[in-house]
Amino acid sequence: MEFLSLLDITFFLLAGFGALVGIIFGAIPGMTATMAVAVCLPLTYALGLHHGLALLLGLYVGGISGGMVPAVLLNIPGTPSSITTTFDGYPMAQKGEGEKALKICVIASVVGGLISAAILFLFAPLLADFSIKFSYVEKFLIILLALSVIASLSSSMLIGIFSGVIGIWLSLIGDYSISDGGNGKTRLMFDFMEPYLFEGFSLLPVLIGVFGISTILLEAEKGAKSGLVNERIKISKGGGFSLSIFNGRLTNLVRSSFIGTFVGMLPGVGGSAASVLAYTQEKNLTRDSSQMGKGAPQGLIASESANNALTGGALIPLLSLGIPGDSTTAVLIGAFTLQGIQVGPLFIPENTETWYVMMTALVFANIVMFFLMFYAIKYIAKVVMVPKHILFPIIVMMCVVGAYAINYGIMFDVWTLLIFGILGYLVQKIGLEVAPLIIGFILGSQAEVYFVKSLESFGTFSIFFTKSPIAMVLWGLIVASVMFAIVMGFKSRARQKMELTQVTGSTRTASGKGHETDND
Amino acid sequence: MESGLSSLLSVSIDFETSHLFFPRIIHWIMAGLFVLILMTKVAPFMASVKRGERTLPIVGEARDNFRFIGTLVLIAAYFYFMAVVGDMFPYTGYGFLLVSMVFVLLMSLLYLHDWTKKALTIVVVNAIVAPSLAWFVLAKLFTITLP
Amino acid sequence: MRISNRLMTRVGSAALMAALSVSAGVAMAQDGPLRGNIRVVIGSTSTGGDTYQNSTIVVDQLAERLDLNMKVDAVGASSAFRTLDRDSRGNTLMIFHDQSYLGHLYGVEGYDDIFEKYTVGPTLAINPGNAYLVPKDSPYQTLDDIIAAVGNGETVRVAIQPGGVSEIGFSALKNAIAIEHPGQEDNLVAVNTGSQSDKNQQLFDGQADVINGTVQANEQYTRLPEDDQKAMRFVWLTARQDTIEQAPEEGLGQTSREQLLEYVEPNVHVTMGDDESFTFDKEFFFLYNKDMDPAIVEQIDEALTDIYAEGEIQETQKNAFFIPNFKPSDEASEYLADKMARYEEIISNIK
Repeated sequence: MEFLSLLDITFFLLAGFGALVGIIFGAIPGMTATMAVAVCLPLTYALGLHHGLALLLGLYVGGISGGMVPAVLLNIPGTPSSITTTFDGYPMAQKGEGEKALKICVIASVVGGLISAAILFLFAPLLADFSIKFSYVEKFLIILLALSVIASLSSSMLIGIFSGVIGIWLSLIGDYSISDGGNGKTRLMFDFMEPYLFEGFSLLPVLIGVFGISTILLEAEKGAKSGLVNERIKISKGGGFSLSIFNGRLTNLVRSSFIGTFVGMLPGVGGSAASVLAYTQEKNLTRDSSQMGKGAPQGLIASESANNALTGGALIPLLSLGIPGDSTTAVLIGAFTLQGIQVGPLFIPENTETWYVMMTALVFANIVMFFLMFYAIKYIAKVVMVPKHILFPIIVMMCVVGAYAINYGIMFDVWTLLIFGILGYLVQKIGLEVAPLIIGFILGSQAEVYFVKSLESFGTFSIFFTKSPIAMVLWGLIVASVMFAIVMGFKSRARQKMELTQVTGSTRTASGKGHETDND
Repeated sequence: MESGLSSLLSVSIDFETSHLFFPRIIHWIMAGLFVLILMTKVAPFMASVKRGERTLPIVGEARDNFRFIGTLVLIAAYFYFMAVVGDMFPYTGYGFLLVSMVFVLLMSLLYLHDWTKKALTIVVVNAIVAPSLAWFVLAKLFTITLP
Repeated sequence: MRISNRLMTRVGSAALMAALSVSAGVAMAQDGPLRGNIRVVIGSTSTGGDTYQNSTIVVDQLAERLDLNMKVDAVGASSAFRTLDRDSRGNTLMIFHDQSYLGHLYGVEGYDDIFEKYTVGPTLAINPGNAYLVPKDSPYQTLDDIIAAVGNGETVRVAIQPGGVSEIGFSALKNAIAIEHPGQEDNLVAVNTGSQSDKNQQLFDGQADVINGTVQANEQYTRLPEDDQKAMRFVWLTARQDTIEQAPEEGLGQTSREQLLEYVEPNVHVTMGDDESFTFDKEFFFLYNKDMDPAIVEQIDEALTDIYAEGEIQETQKNAFFIPNFKPSDEASEYLADKMARYEEIISNIK
């Protein structure tokens, strides 16, 4: 236990301070954990390795957690991985349960974070060996599995899938990047767009454009009338939160944490896939999922526990393969190289002390995050009390900062906000669905790389079925997920139809036609 | 049979044109779905529009045009002038700071329904304080590049 | 309470700085032609990578010497070039490496001839780590084995990232095979892939026989026991012998300089025809807007000359496994143009 001598009061203060700053970064739409870590990286040089790591891990945990705040209160995912939090969080906030929703999120987050830290501590090298069994083929199937959520998420499956495909299409604009092994050629655009769109649209500006700016446009259209964002919100009720919400949700909590850790562990499969996948599985596996997407606590639990479980997961390949599991851990590598420490398969055996120090910082940061957020929520939730004419300009301003800073200062990313703000507005107006479109956008470019690279290597479509037992298991999950969505679709149609017959005594509506389209 | 199937499934991708392989597949899927939607959703919808049962989205809706168009114009002007002013003071973040103040002020006024003295004071103070705070913390404390 | 003091100092000094810079406006009293805030864009999007690390080392020293605010932004190649194109005032500078002209030689979209479109500034340092590796249990013991095997008609697959630094060694190898075993060079196949983790993965999956990697990222893999699926072995470092000779004696990790020298020329010989051996050093250098005031070029050259004369920066660079390699603009420009010409020949030979 020699490492204990390395832990002093400064160490814990830094981890706690990191968590606080991280939460603030995460809570600002467009500011991410990655950015928080990146801007504080130079500080670590002066702090030394162990103190530096305490700060950075605090920022990491805080940044991932903070994303829940705007997701729930403003319907803007603070970080890409909190996208599924908006699905249930915002409806709850509209019902006046913002505080309750946030409390659920915080508890789910800390559980997810701690479970993944435990997995990291106990099984890192073992899991690293498992993660390298996932080649392009298996990664493509994981993405496909995450995409299959589109089918069950949308109210009309046909429209949902179409929206998802549009999202994928949008994600392909730009070059087939050589950093993914592509040929660096551009497609799906005209020559004059090349100076701006060479690298395509960036994820984060697209997200905050579609969610943030388009929400503001929709409000402006209605005249931004009520003084408050939502007058029905009654904060004084205290939200009606009690721990009993978690009764019977334990499986969900643990399952989602495992999914989050697992996805975080796969290099190249982005963080946002984790919460989407956990959300899909909760929707598919639980008995009553009909409320999900309309403000069900279980959706929040799945989303937030998975997204915090990413932290431990993404550290697994970093510390036992030298390969970052997500964009934030890619920046963390910089902290190690700055101090002349190599990360690779021999990192843990050769730097045992640092390893224990990191684990301590990770666990401590999670706990600090929990207390900071749990007790601050009461005040944070009051954001919705701010009048629209004050709140909206500030949201636009912060979205601009986030969009501009995400790629270290690109003006086109700011214009992307407006483009996708308008697009998001139009999409909702003509009856397409936003959530599938965004999920398609998030996962589209990865799907392309893994799909095309698999075919380049193996030269046959059959490889997706025969590559490995893992591939077959994944196919099983995909088929189950799609089947489930179809069955659920039938059921809700049937119920709707029944209600309709009772009310109007007539079945001549769109739902009858929707019924048929569900067959394909 | 076996070889027939495997040759059906086999594919060879030329690296030079590999950037078009996946988009092509997506185009076909998109086109297929679009036709399906046209037949099953849009056609019945248009029919009901013709019968006057429903209205077209966007075109046929009531809207607060002043605030809606105003928001769009303000945001576009905000983005444009931020870059222009920012270019005059390279990499200091002044472009963001100054233009944000104007933008926050104008947008607040656009959305403000009752122009009371108290509300106006809050609006003005907010327009000065919020951008300054953001600029100071981000550009100065964390040295994030701002326009 | 060390931290809170430090924090307070930081907050305090930032507040002071803010107050000062607001009151004094942008026209701070600086003597040289460089003024205001300077942004150094780099051709990589990673803040954990070698370009960022090396650029920060140099830019921090430069900022101190010139008494200016300078900041490194990892915007990536395409955005970096575009940002540089638009600013001829000298507020935007760029640091990148050999990829800047190799991308052009390989015909990658978005890369122009840097010698025509920009002013090439001073070189700063070398990353000597560009390496080729095989699995530890590979039948190929040396690079010669690989060349001979390909010459005998065996197919050898090499995982690389196309269109630049990662491909140049592969191209040279192919060129050498074309010279020694004419007509057999097409048996050396490129597996085009992305990041280091993708390249490693191709090796673990048995989809590649050789991968491009780096000493820094792969050294620990070479120390794994042979029965580990992840174990690898160096076969070739593309750096020049005298580059590696300047590395710290203890080398990197547990691999000493002595051991690294086994994998460079003349121990490993990749012919370029005649008696010449192919070598490749990944060098970092400044790029400037073509219309930028030449006085700024001079100012930076002078400042760097002073910094390198002091000798402190060399220590910092060597500690981070960079080989210091400062050449003032004129010299650097000529040197890099020569370098490009050599590689242009290789690439056109194997087309």
